[in-house]
Amino acid sequence: MPTTVILGVIGSDAHVVGITILDQALSAAGFDVENLGVQTSQEEFAAAASEHDADAVLVSSLYGHAEQDCQGFHELLAREDIDATTYIGGNLAVGQDDFEQTRTTFRTLGFDRVFDSETTPEEVIRSLERDLGISTREAETDRVQA
Amino acid sequence: MIRDERLTADELQRIDDHIRDDWPTGAAVDFEAAIAYHESLPAHKQFADVLESADRPLLQPRAGVPRLDDQVNLLTHLHDEGAADLLPTTIDSYTRDNEYGKAQEGLETARESGDATLNGFPAVNHGVEGCRELIDRVDAPIEVRHGTPDARLLAAVTFAGGFQSFEGGPISYNIPYTKEGSLAQTIEHWQYVDRLAGAYTERGVTINREPFGPLTGTLVPPSIAIAIMLVEGKLAATQGVRSLTLGYGQVGNVVQDVAALRALRKLGNEYLPDEVCVTTVFHEWMGGFPPDEARANGVIGLGGTTAAIARPDKVITKSPQEFQGVPTKEANAAGLRTTRQLIDMVVEQDIVLDGVDEEQALIERETRCLMDAIDAHGDGDVAQGTIEAFGSGALDVPFAPSDAAEGAVLPARDDDGRVRIFEWGELAMDDDIKEIHGARLADRAETEGRKQSFRMVADDVDAISDGKLIGRPTGTDAGTDPRGDGGESRAD
Repeated sequence: MPTTVILGVIGSDAHVVGITILDQALSAAGFDVENLGVQTSQEEFAAAASEHDADAVLVSSLYGHAEQDCQGFHELLAREDIDATTYIGGNLAVGQDDFEQTRTTFRTLGFDRVFDSETTPEEVIRSLERDLGISTREAETDRVQA
Repeated sequence: MIRDERLTADELQRIDDHIRDDWPTGAAVDFEAAIAYHESLPAHKQFADVLESADRPLLQPRAGVPRLDDQVNLLTHLHDEGAADLLPTTIDSYTRDNEYGKAQEGLETARESGDATLNGFPAVNHGVEGCRELIDRVDAPIEVRHGTPDARLLAAVTFAGGFQSFEGGPISYNIPYTKEGSLAQTIEHWQYVDRLAGAYTERGVTINREPFGPLTGTLVPPSIAIAIMLVEGKLAATQGVRSLTLGYGQVGNVVQDVAALRALRKLGNEYLPDEVCVTTVFHEWMGGFPPDEARANGVIGLGGTTAAIARPDKVITKSPQEFQGVPTKEANAAGLRTTRQLIDMVVEQDIVLDGVDEEQALIERETRCLMDAIDAHGDGDVAQGTIEAFGSGALDVPFAPSDAAEGAVLPARDDDGRVRIFEWGELAMDDDIKEIHGARLADRAETEGRKQSFRMVADDVDAISDGKLIGRPTGTDAGTDPRGDGGESRAD
């Protein structure tokens, strides 16, 4: 069964280049990609994840308001009974160049992985393979431990 | 169904009455008084005349702050210290979303605190009188630059307020700027803007209109940009616009940029009615800038050099602080001076670039393919044809956030750094043209020892800010094996 990944830019953000490239890369790597595009609300992410029984939800944000936009997102997913791996990536904080601090902030919000804007699509694919246990190198059981 | 037909006087009046109720300042818009005000302006503030009679590329920056006094000071600085020929007034984001109430709050906070709480000048809130005070106190022609899908009230207020040039259009301010918002609706809204400009023009007050050429600002293939300029030009001409400045954003390959600007001017004159005066504007690089002022000046310098060879009528300049967002007025003026230095040093040299004619011929053929597809989709009606062609993907813009466009087309640079199309989607293009692009991209893939892939697109998007033109693989990320194990330092 193909792995389904939800992709979108959260909040009022209209930066589309990153998810366009990610969409291409994930599709080429065999993922079933549901790209919600720019200016996607938390509710739209949740609805799509539920509808497509998503394995992973990938949130993009480039305009610096990610922390506000993601408040309560994981609580919403929990209420909707969505058990998907969640990633966030992009320019996640304005004027804050300590990425470790940014990572901690978003891990605390509930994201499984946090990526900076320099991340390549291949790194995301490798992470998904590892977290979802779909790499040929890793046993299915690894997912439980992740 | 929306068609490319001129609005009647009754329709113009009806929309005018309705739109002026959207915010209290609309009530002060009076057409006859506005004509009298425009006629009172001195010759050196008549935008279209200054632009159309220039004998060298004129320079114009971007700039907008919320308070009137600050905007006067900013524009005066750019005119005096940057020697800008034409000045801008960039409108804030709330106004672009028609959120005049929020713009008012921001303006009042700015007046109280002195802080720039808005990212531009809220012209609707300043109203007709505020706009005229700006026009009176600044000693050069000023254009309204914005990004507003529904710019009807903004146009009504700023035209009455004395502005004689207005950027944007139904496609170029829709597709790159919004997610939702149908083209039928933006075409209808811009028919009003253009008809209003036409009404002034018929009374002897020429309103210059400038479709936004760079679109998404990210590796847009020249023929796509030019086709959209021609469409917006045709729509505007139908409504009576007689001064049109068609735009194009620098891609960074000098041969392709010179060829594109020449094709833009030639096709503009060919496709638009004879009574329209067509001029061209070249936007310095609109993609990501290097995070270093010295290197950013290099990018700006290449733009100035290209402009000196291609000789557009106008150049929109960038500042060396582009990377960090809104520049200081000093940096903005520096971008103007850097550009002027390059243009004035190069413009009198007779530089012959190999391959420009061929590239121009290719761009023209591609543009004709797109224009023919639009014509066929609309049975000869450019408004319907544009809507239908975007719907089918026959016309498309790379990296378009809008649901109105497929956004399936993906560009990549060839081995010479020219922007080609890597993923065509449903774009209407002759097969032999697709083969030419494919062959050029294959050359690059061979040089780099990797397959053509989205990875080239991603690398190209970042290349100029990384200090190169073409996103070649570097030693550290040359591996294309998706099962490699690197990158953990960045991943969580």
